[in-house]
Amino acid sequence: MGILTVLWEKWAEFKRDFYKITVAAMISPLMYLLVFGLGIQTTSHGEPYLNFLIPGIVAMVTMTGSFSAVSQNMSVQRLYEKALDQVMVSPTPLWQFIVGQIVGGALRGMYAALVILLLISPIRTSLVFTPLSFAIMFLNGTVFATIAVALSFLAKSYTDAPRFNTYIIMPMSFLCNTFFSTDQMPHGIKEFVSALPLSQTSDMVRAIAQGNDPNLMGVLILLAYLVVFAAISFAFIYKKKNL
Amino acid sequence: MIEIRNLTKKFGDFKAVDHLDLTIETNEFMGLLGPNGAGKTTTISMMSTVLLPTEGEILVDGQPLNRKAAAVKRKLSVVTQEYSMRQDMTMNEVMEYQGRLYYMRKKEIKAKTAELFEFAGLSDFGHRTVRHLSGGMKRKLMICRALMVEPEILLLDEPTAGMDALARRQMWDLLRSLKDRNLTILLTTHFIDEAQALCNRVAFIDGGKLDVVDAPLTLIEQLGPFAIDCMEDGKLVSSYFPTREAAIDRLRELPDDAALRATTLEDVFVERVGHHLTRK
Repeated sequence: MGILTVLWEKWAEFKRDFYKITVAAMISPLMYLLVFGLGIQTTSHGEPYLNFLIPGIVAMVTMTGSFSAVSQNMSVQRLYEKALDQVMVSPTPLWQFIVGQIVGGALRGMYAALVILLLISPIRTSLVFTPLSFAIMFLNGTVFATIAVALSFLAKSYTDAPRFNTYIIMPMSFLCNTFFSTDQMPHGIKEFVSALPLSQTSDMVRAIAQGNDPNLMGVLILLAYLVVFAAISFAFIYKKKNL
Repeated sequence: MIEIRNLTKKFGDFKAVDHLDLTIETNEFMGLLGPNGAGKTTTISMMSTVLLPTEGEILVDGQPLNRKAAAVKRKLSVVTQEYSMRQDMTMNEVMEYQGRLYYMRKKEIKAKTAELFEFAGLSDFGHRTVRHLSGGMKRKLMICRALMVEPEILLLDEPTAGMDALARRQMWDLLRSLKDRNLTILLTTHFIDEAQALCNRVAFIDGGKLDVVDAPLTLIEQLGPFAIDCMEDGKLVSSYFPTREAAIDRLRELPDDAALRATTLEDVFVERVGHHLTRK
């Protein structure tokens, strides 16, 4: 029930800011596609580079969409608007509030991915996106929404949210299998970057898109991130002395 | 009934609330009074579970109040000092969100919203966004939001902060009408006249410590119900008397600018708490 309440709140926000949310979801992925995919016409492993880039961009927008939907919102609600106080004093179980934030964030990530898929639909590629691709993208969204929830409890001011974006999301966007394969990275860095959730998501979504079997170990890695950051978020909301 | 036992909150080395013991009876309108930084808001924040106590506990009808105590929290509603609501929501959305957080049905939410907006004179503004409301309207909306869920206990943290005199009077009328709803109310304020006008009992808090708890009239009687103000060395000095006759006798000895008046709760506050502050 509490989960539905948070989803209702997210839906009200989505309806209110529909155009802003949609345009924000489009701009940077579209720029990447135009500049790297269509502007600089190149190939990768004998294939058009777009075939490599599109699954990476789609995976990336599920990350950025989910993360920004939750991190901005939660930080502002907790530190600036103090709207979290309304939730804290209510009988809604706080774990349900957290789960609602995670599911709501993941849905926003999925929406961003669908917008991009719709925009690139006129481009002729051999890529396919199956229900499994969408399930992996949703899982990726839950991971980054959960990371956003955990970080929002660490924020000391609401201006910290954009900083988390700079420290975490931007480096991952560029390094995690989006624009180039992690195989080409130096030993040590390669293993570290490959274990990050976006690398796993890009890898699996790309494999499915190109008609190959994905390495489902990636799902287990994503689930591990989800469990760890959800546990941190629950610990924060129940145990943090000063929210 | 609310029982606050040995409640302490530290922020680093600073003790914001220091071993506070206070009992608020069912259906009582209790005022928690103190200067800025006395620990009033910290106490309310612990009662709304936003802050966890360093020591001590809060019991509501014998049950401990904590973040997992859904049944206890169901009885509570809070009007915080800050406008704790989403600024981008409309007033109707704020009410619906509150209703949903307390598991109310949509039909019930709609009916209750209409009733409360009528009660607070907000009926024409349901579609207005919070950020476009005046301070007074936001306060009224917060009261409506708190009453939406028919709480047994209402915590009001400086509900008239930042309001002009007229809006404050309107808010007092609204708060006075809450007495008829059989609520247990804890009001924190640094407007002493507000507490005198509304509360059955008041507690003075200073430096996180409780000073005294009693009915406003009892405290005034103890100090002396008649006061004389006169200027001494450029400072206003007040003295208090148990009877009008004693006050008039003293007044005859004083210069013409001395004035006789009724003692207020503010005088009691200044005598008990203000002198500590002056010494500090």
